[in-house]
Amino acid sequence: MEILRIEGLSKTFGSGRLEVRALEDIHLSVSRGELVALLGPSGSGKTTLLLCISMILEPTGGKIVFDGQTIFQKNGWAGVDIRRVRREKIGFIFQSHNLIPFLTARQNVLFPLDLVGQKGEKADSRARELLEYMEIADRADFLPPILSGGEQQRVAIARALANNAKLILADEPTASLDTVRGTRVMESLKKIAKENRSAVIVVTHDVRMIEGFDRVYRLKDGRLENNGA
Amino acid sequence: MDLAFYDLKQHKGRFIATVIGVGLLFTIVLAMNGLYRGNIYEGLALVNATNPDLWVVERHRGGPFNEQSTLPEFYHYSVQAISGVEKASPFIYYTVERPIKGVSRHFSIIGYDVFGGLGGPGKIYSGRNIEQAHYEMVVHPKLGVHLGDRIPLGLHTYTVVGMTKEAVSSDGEALVYLSLPDAQELLFQRDNEEVRTQRERSLRTLSGQSDLSLVQAEILLPRLQPDTHIINAILVRLKPGANRSEVAGSVEKWLYLSAFSTEEEVQLMLKGRLASMTKQLLLFRTLLLIISVVIVSLVSYTFTMEKIRSIAVMKLIGAPNRVIVRMVMEQSLLLTIGGFLFGVVLIQNTYSLFPRTILRVPGDDLVVFIVAFAGGILASLLGLWEALKTQPAMALGG
Repeated sequence: MEILRIEGLSKTFGSGRLEVRALEDIHLSVSRGELVALLGPSGSGKTTLLLCISMILEPTGGKIVFDGQTIFQKNGWAGVDIRRVRREKIGFIFQSHNLIPFLTARQNVLFPLDLVGQKGEKADSRARELLEYMEIADRADFLPPILSGGEQQRVAIARALANNAKLILADEPTASLDTVRGTRVMESLKKIAKENRSAVIVVTHDVRMIEGFDRVYRLKDGRLENNGA
Repeated sequence: MDLAFYDLKQHKGRFIATVIGVGLLFTIVLAMNGLYRGNIYEGLALVNATNPDLWVVERHRGGPFNEQSTLPEFYHYSVQAISGVEKASPFIYYTVERPIKGVSRHFSIIGYDVFGGLGGPGKIYSGRNIEQAHYEMVVHPKLGVHLGDRIPLGLHTYTVVGMTKEAVSSDGEALVYLSLPDAQELLFQRDNEEVRTQRERSLRTLSGQSDLSLVQAEILLPRLQPDTHIINAILVRLKPGANRSEVAGSVEKWLYLSAFSTEEEVQLMLKGRLASMTKQLLLFRTLLLIISVVIVSLVSYTFTMEKIRSIAVMKLIGAPNRVIVRMVMEQSLLLTIGGFLFGVVLIQNTYSLFPRTILRVPGDDLVVFIVAFAGGILASLLGLWEALKTQPAMALGG
């Protein structure tokens, strides 16, 4: 079942002589449970594409359909509550973990649940379950600065999964980790795609980390070089 | 989820230190309020405690407290003769600095007719009123003496027969009540050597610049001695039903003096002697309040800016603006309210130690609280503005 479809997406910064075409004629499709990699060198447009998919950056043209709903077409955002879509349907994993430093690991996982009104024992139980799933339950009451990089990233993944996100966007999730920990995080993402049936899009420039991915899109100078094969 | 609480919990030490710092500022604001009220209260205390129907003073003078007024003592007989006057009493008031128990003290002396005259001490909380024509005094405890103490002043020693707290001088100093002749003597009695020198000078003037013989000059000499029967005001009590304005008009028309009601005397003080200090204190407390709000604003802004990346993450994962607004405002208000409460507790426990009267008025505290609360909200706006314009994209990248 298709969860994300992008048709002819483009993004241009500036105008006239200063115009920069960051993305051009992007076509992409992602289904539930699919693990997709966006590969490309620095400046190829990977993060710009991720920002457009996550509705942070407004594309210049094209169409985005997410979970059966057109969220962008050439006239702009299609009247959707962008933040609501993000908190209810999308999970984010960042390069530098980005846990909220004054909340414990458990509270970081509880935060997105709190945003959708899930509180009390039900939310606690869900947070515990996710931390156990990411094998970090024993560190639940630790603050992020006390955790190692790999542990922080696992908490970040648990947070991204909290609301049963249909789409998980991961921006260079292994960039700040060593190979062993990086591989472990990628294994976790594969597990999520397989067991949770979430679509996972991973932006990376490290080809060693994409083994076992369902599809790999290669970006160069704002254009897709392949169709995800 | 109370994000502000969790954040402050992680930065307890810094939060408490900031609350204490802001609290000390509020303590000064509240102390300034008390000082402002105390300044007015003390400045008017003697006027209000004396409270005659009329204050008769030297013509076109705003005496006896706001401006020096000098009258011959016998004028009170003339005032007494005005229709509608039940009683007219001589009154003298001046400030001195004299050693009391070996310590130099600044205080004010009031001389009044101790045998039924107006202007004496109000409620005596210990001892009695002055009952003898000489050498007795009623004092305010601020002078540092006790009932029964014998205090040398000038040429004589006075016994403390009563203690009163009814009033203080307009400078907030202790008051000492004496009989009128004692007060006049203390004010006008010169040093013995000065008396002798003046006498010699007068004698030579009389005998040297006129045809008088030395014997004739000595006979005339007492007439050249300065008059010590001087007072500052005459306090008037009107007969029942007498019209105050008419009596005041008669005094001004026939005796060439000025007459003020106590309300007018209060206004003279407020617009005159007390005005500049009152305005100064008002300005200080306004400035301090603004400084407090600015400091809370900067602290709140710093607290917010430290979390700016976390705020970007919150926005990226879909937190609505109200969650961020609540966090920033809660912190700012906790800081403001915590600081204010600290200030209230501190001033409540220390105001009696201040050298000048700190008069606490609940209404003033409430006004400071309202301003501080509004200031706290205002203070958070700067941080809020930064927080709300933060782009979620900031959370991406390394």
